[in-house]
Amino acid sequence: MTGKRLRIIAVMAVSLIFLLAWAFPILWSVLNSLKTDQDVLAYPPKLLFAPTLDAYRDVLFGSSSILPNLVSSMIISVGTTIITMVMAVPAAYALARLRFRGKKAAGFYVLVTQMLPPVGIIIPYFMILRNIGWIDTYQGIILIYLSFSLPFAIWLLVSYFEDIPFEMEEAAYLDGASRMKTLWRIIIPQVRGGIAVTVVFVFLNAWNEFLFAVVLSGNTVRPVTVAMFNFVSVEQTLWTKLAAVSVLAMLPVIILGVVAQKHIVKGLTVGAVKGGGRR
Amino acid sequence: MSGRGQVSFRNIARTYGNFAALKGVDFDIREGEFFALLGPSGSGKSTTLRILAGLDAPTAGQVLIDGQDVTAVDARDRDIAMVFQSYALYPHMTVAQNIAFPLEMSGHSKAEIGPAVHDAARKVKIEHLLDRKPGQLSGGQQQRVALARAIVRKAKLFLLDEPLSNLDAKLRLETRAELKKLQRALGVTAVYVTHDQEEAMTLADRMAVFMGGEIQQIGTPAEVFAKPNSIDIAGFIGNPPMNLIPARYVDGDVTIGGHRLKTDSTLTGERDVVVGLRPGALRAASDGVPARVDLIEDLGDTAILDLDCAGTLLRMRVSDIEIPNEGDTIKVTARPQDVHLFDPATKARL
Repeated sequence: MTGKRLRIIAVMAVSLIFLLAWAFPILWSVLNSLKTDQDVLAYPPKLLFAPTLDAYRDVLFGSSSILPNLVSSMIISVGTTIITMVMAVPAAYALARLRFRGKKAAGFYVLVTQMLPPVGIIIPYFMILRNIGWIDTYQGIILIYLSFSLPFAIWLLVSYFEDIPFEMEEAAYLDGASRMKTLWRIIIPQVRGGIAVTVVFVFLNAWNEFLFAVVLSGNTVRPVTVAMFNFVSVEQTLWTKLAAVSVLAMLPVIILGVVAQKHIVKGLTVGAVKGGGRR
Repeated sequence: MSGRGQVSFRNIARTYGNFAALKGVDFDIREGEFFALLGPSGSGKSTTLRILAGLDAPTAGQVLIDGQDVTAVDARDRDIAMVFQSYALYPHMTVAQNIAFPLEMSGHSKAEIGPAVHDAARKVKIEHLLDRKPGQLSGGQQQRVALARAIVRKAKLFLLDEPLSNLDAKLRLETRAELKKLQRALGVTAVYVTHDQEEAMTLADRMAVFMGGEIQQIGTPAEVFAKPNSIDIAGFIGNPPMNLIPARYVDGDVTIGGHRLKTDSTLTGERDVVVGLRPGALRAASDGVPARVDLIEDLGDTAILDLDCAGTLLRMRVSDIEIPNEGDTIKVTARPQDVHLFDPATKARL
């Protein structure tokens, strides 16, 4: 009895350490975003202070507003997600179901693209986009994001499609449904969970992306991850504003994470426990 | 109503790579018949059903439905309903939506679909479950939903792929009887795949016995039971199956364990044979072959005896009033017409 209790306490203690390590940067950002410029530089750091929303007002509506950047991030993320899903769902279904030449090779290629170090391909991408005049454009950035979100989404979705027994489709054919009708009416409703998970992951990857964005964006299209660095300059760092932007940038991610939490956990275990992720 | 649900297989073959799943199958299914495809797993019975459904294509040969060559016709244009072993219910739809799906696909109006769904549900007694999802139903209930979905459309042909194998024993017996009644009431041609010879015997009007990608025998269950035309079928049909004993045949008699047994064969001369004896055809007789009772499996109203007859295992079915004790020696014989003879080399009936 006591041994069990001790174990629980030990597990809780270790969990708490991890939680603090993970939560510290977020708490730091939230606290600093609510301080004044004077409070933020105080030493030792003030835990008790008069909170103010000045930083938020400045970064949203001030002279260097990041609202356009939030809009850019949203356009890029939503655009990438929609195009990815429109192409990934049929592709994943094909990979899971149809028998065709080079299927194995195609599956392997999809996986390999996930292993390439991004830094290795960023220069060629930059040169290609510059040659076609797509640097600092939505279509340019979305195109490059597609090159890694699409394989990832296909790879994730295939396992969901493979989970659906073949007999289900055969039953639908015999019931008189065409292949497209079968896909729409029988298959896709059963992989709703998988589609939700994929949407979340693709959106988050696009929203959080920094490396490609910093090279391929410019003054017209600048996502918030890049724009944040407006507040860091050689002379000074505007800590309160930087913190406020960080919180604003994290907000959609946290909201999405909380909303889709159930699906995400299921989605990550679907490959491990056969059939456990659906329904 | 003539010419509805008549099927002809013309020399159907199917190979997968180097493996010949079907080696030229040729038979007819009559209109309105309950026809069983019986055989052990891997014998080609399921492949035959899938080719009939249009879910698999033959490598050679033709499938005719009501005289029309449908070999190249798409599965969904064949007007065939099928119950799958796994039931293949659509988990995201309610029972009512599941049953309505085939009607929806064939473009029936809402006004037609509603009554048809209720009618089909009533026939398999699941009207009270229409609003549930398949995941909330027991195996037996799911099975009925699958049946309802198959009968709602009044298709030409009704295919069943081991539909009872996922049910527990008691439910299987009940459903078996209901299935037969349902098929008779609908008057539809049913093709039924099973590896369970008892199911085929009880349900089918006629059956085809598959072994190794070929049909070994076609006939009514009574015919196949009474005159199995090969050793393989003799050893497959019946529970327990026929005793098969190597023996010497001389002018109408066979010698087992040093004792002679009369047959009704008119073959002359001397040769090696395999003697087939149904467990139920063996009877005690004072002039019979002596055999020691090794084991008694008491089934209540009958019992199965494992007999040691000069080193050969013989199984015998006796009624409950005739059960001897283990270790006893009894004398058994069989009527000449109950002694089946097979060729040990070709395995064919003599």
